Amino acid sequence: MGFAIRTEHLRKVYPGAHGASAALEDLTLDIPDGRVYGVIGRNGAGKTTFVRIAATQLVLTSGSATVLGHDVATEERAIRTRIACVPQEARPLYFLNVDEVVYLYLKLRGLDPADARARTKDALEQLSLTEFRRRTVSRLSGGLRRRVLCAMVLASDAEILFLDEPTTGLDPIARRQVWEAIRRAIRERRTILLTTHYLDEAEALSARLALFERGRLVLEGTPEDLRARVRYPYRVTIQGSTPREELQSYGRVSAIEGGFLVFARESEARDLARLALERGLKVGLGPVSLEGIFLDVVGRSIEDEGPTPEVEG
Amino acid sequence: MSERNRLRSLLTLVQINGLIPIRTQPLYLINLVASPLSFLFFIWIVSRGADLAYGVMGGMVLTMLSVGTGLQSDLTHYRHDMKFQDVVVASPVEAPVYVGGMALSELVYSLPALAVFVILFVYYGYATPESSAVLVGALLLVWSFATAFAFTLATYFQDVRETWMFSPIFSLVLTVLPPVYYPISYLPGWAQVAARFSPTTYAAELVQGAVGLQHLSFDTAVIDWIVLVGFTAALFLIAAFKARWKDP
Ligand SMILES: Nc1ncnc2c1ncn2[C@@H]1O[C@H](COP(=O)(O)OP(=O)(O)OP(=O)(O)O)[C@@H](O)[C@H]1O
Ligand SMILES: [Mg+2]
Repeated sequence: MGFAIRTEHLRKVYPGAHGASAALEDLTLDIPDGRVYGVIGRNGAGKTTFVRIAATQLVLTSGSATVLGHDVATEERAIRTRIACVPQEARPLYFLNVDEVVYLYLKLRGLDPADARARTKDALEQLSLTEFRRRTVSRLSGGLRRRVLCAMVLASDAEILFLDEPTTGLDPIARRQVWEAIRRAIRERRTILLTTHYLDEAEALSARLALFERGRLVLEGTPEDLRARVRYPYRVTIQGSTPREELQSYGRVSAIEGGFLVFARESEARDLARLALERGLKVGLGPVSLEGIFLDVVGRSIEDEGPTPEVEG
Repeated sequence: MSERNRLRSLLTLVQINGLIPIRTQPLYLINLVASPLSFLFFIWIVSRGADLAYGVMGGMVLTMLSVGTGLQSDLTHYRHDMKFQDVVVASPVEAPVYVGGMALSELVYSLPALAVFVILFVYYGYATPESSAVLVGALLLVWSFATAFAFTLATYFQDVRETWMFSPIFSLVLTVLPPVYYPISYLPGWAQVAARFSPTTYAAELVQGAVGLQHLSFDTAVIDWIVLVGFTAALFLIAAFKARWKDP
């Protein structure tokens, strides 16, 4: 196995962003090929900036990045023949029908018509779009439009797919269809760089994950690595009335509907669960989800540094 | 990309941006016939039929320039509202293929207008092998520089609204000030000087000369061609080095 994307001390400052912090700062990452690599982080953390630099759509400020061994700054042409991208805010051309969006995209990439036909049919079936194939994009719902874009790049022959929030606005069933299509792309030995705000999605699909915060990489690794690196790897939910102050000695407490959620270390989590059971409260205990990790790490960085400054574009 | 694949991409863009939109909105075709034909009508009325030839030749030049205006707003619209340029950048399609395909697709819309003018051109007996060759050459150059100029501008606009504001400036520089519908000698001295800064002036002079609307000495014609080709080359160079295919 090799690396699909590598960056070293990558930095991006948008032109005219005087005084504002960099959109990406000192980012060093190795993204293995043939897997899904998930990038998560809050709004404005730098996910799209990173995707666009790797997809050769955006110029980097300093440091370096290579895709499939080619430098993004000087060897774009060699990279571009092997990648495909769904940009965060992309919309399919509204006057085409669903079939045309996929088929013409493939022909635009230079695929021969018979191949493009077969791939189009296949991708539309996979994402349950066949019944809409003759419908004009302007008459599709928002989620369906997004799905059409996913079908478009998944149908391509690209080795690396850049999917910037591909499933935003998709219903739970459609979302799982996209996951299935992504897993199939992985079986075909393709690499996928995925950004998402659905942490269950990131966890379900990604072999490795990067958590960005204010342009910096704060956590990186497999989902298990990430779990091992957080302060409170367990979560305890307690339903019923308990004094909050008492809970605070066990870990980090937040209020939830009808009770509290406590993130804690393993032994504290067990002690707390036992205590709550003795008091006859309803208790849930388990390892934290990616969401828990996210809230722990990002929450901590917010506490440390105060509110995120608004960066003017 | 191989040459064969480039050609396929190019034709696919013509299909995407030229043929399919007409299927959904046939009025696009009338849109571009409307203004050159209105000019032709004015000139015909005002000159009582005498200067019709100016209307015909100017109409063709104007039609090619309108390809540039259309291209400029389509490129901006696709880039910002659909992120289509980002989709294309992250694909094997190179910038010249994208722009060339889009410019060809705009030409589809101008075919009805061109057809009308070509019919008039032949009907009034202006068509000789020499005049036709000059006409085709000059129009191709107008189409080329308008395309290069439109692409460069489109990559600087932040929103399609900016292209609407810019369109009148685009027309002023490329179509109003240059003597497309009359000989340059009609202009006052200062305006003649200003018009000399627009490549359209040279194209107009050449086509007017080709059908005998004004006398062009051999030397003047050669200089006009050189300047026209020079302007076009300069706009291509600017597009190659300054257009933002990749965002800064
Ligand atoms: N075109 C731009 N010009 C100037 N600044 C920009 C531009 N695009 C993004 N930024 C800034 O760069 C930072 C990172 O933005 P980016 O879009 O990469 O975030 P993101 O992680 O993708 O966020 P989201 O989850 O909201 O999509 C933000 O501070 C943003 O304001
Ligand atoms: Mg983003």
